[in-house]
Amino acid sequence: MSDTATEIQLQRGMLQETMTFMGALAYGLEQVVGRGSNSVGFLAGKKLGRQFTADAPQQTDVNAALEEVNRILKANGCLWEFGPFAPQGDEAKKLASKDGVSDDTLIVFKECMIRQSLFRFGHVQKGALCSITHGFISGAIEGVMGKPSELEILHAGENACLKRLHVKEAKEAEA
Amino acid sequence: MIGIAIHEESCRGCSMCIDVCPTFVFGMDETAGKASVKEAADCVGCLSCAYLCPSGAITHTDYHAVMNFYRDLDFSQRVARFL
Repeated sequence: MSDTATEIQLQRGMLQETMTFMGALAYGLEQVVGRGSNSVGFLAGKKLGRQFTADAPQQTDVNAALEEVNRILKANGCLWEFGPFAPQGDEAKKLASKDGVSDDTLIVFKECMIRQSLFRFGHVQKGALCSITHGFISGAIEGVMGKPSELEILHAGENACLKRLHVKEAKEAEA
Repeated sequence: MIGIAIHEESCRGCSMCIDVCPTFVFGMDETAGKASVKEAADCVGCLSCAYLCPSGAITHTDYHAVMNFYRDLDFSQRVARFL
């Protein structure tokens, strides 16, 4: 067996064990804490996201902030690939506003190591592990923009996920 | 842009694709009793419709297919670094 093949097998084994453990941990958390497990995952991810972007240059534009977060994630070796989504149809355009007033940003997540792990081990999406991901991205956006943000999972698909990012303004955050 | 098509003869008109699509890509052709692509530009390539369709009537082109990271050394290393 070549060195590369051996290396892949080693890495794969390590990842499978770690992801199995994470999946079991998330499943256990969901059973014990119930719906609150998503909040636990979200807060854990958010803290990590803030840490990742602690020294990042500040951005005021959401799209520029997303690009910066993407760059930081890639630089840190994270397997998440996402980008803004601009809907064309009237019905889809409504998705960009939760309350019918605010102008939120829709994001499509293509590569996601959490999604792949969930499918690999037969866990359901939108659980505690997914919440860690979107807490992480929310925290990272917050770190880059200096404003609190919320990321909501609109659709968890087999090959991509659709999420809605709401960046809170100062007054909204105080309330 | 992602290409999406419904094989007309295969579609049974169950409307499951309409229900599952998060971005309202599909509509129902009431005359034919079959689903149709209404807003192809809004397809995000989640492939939920293709996985769900009982007839396998939906096909996508030019979409980003997610790789299994545990089968690729570079992806494995990126995830391992994160962990």
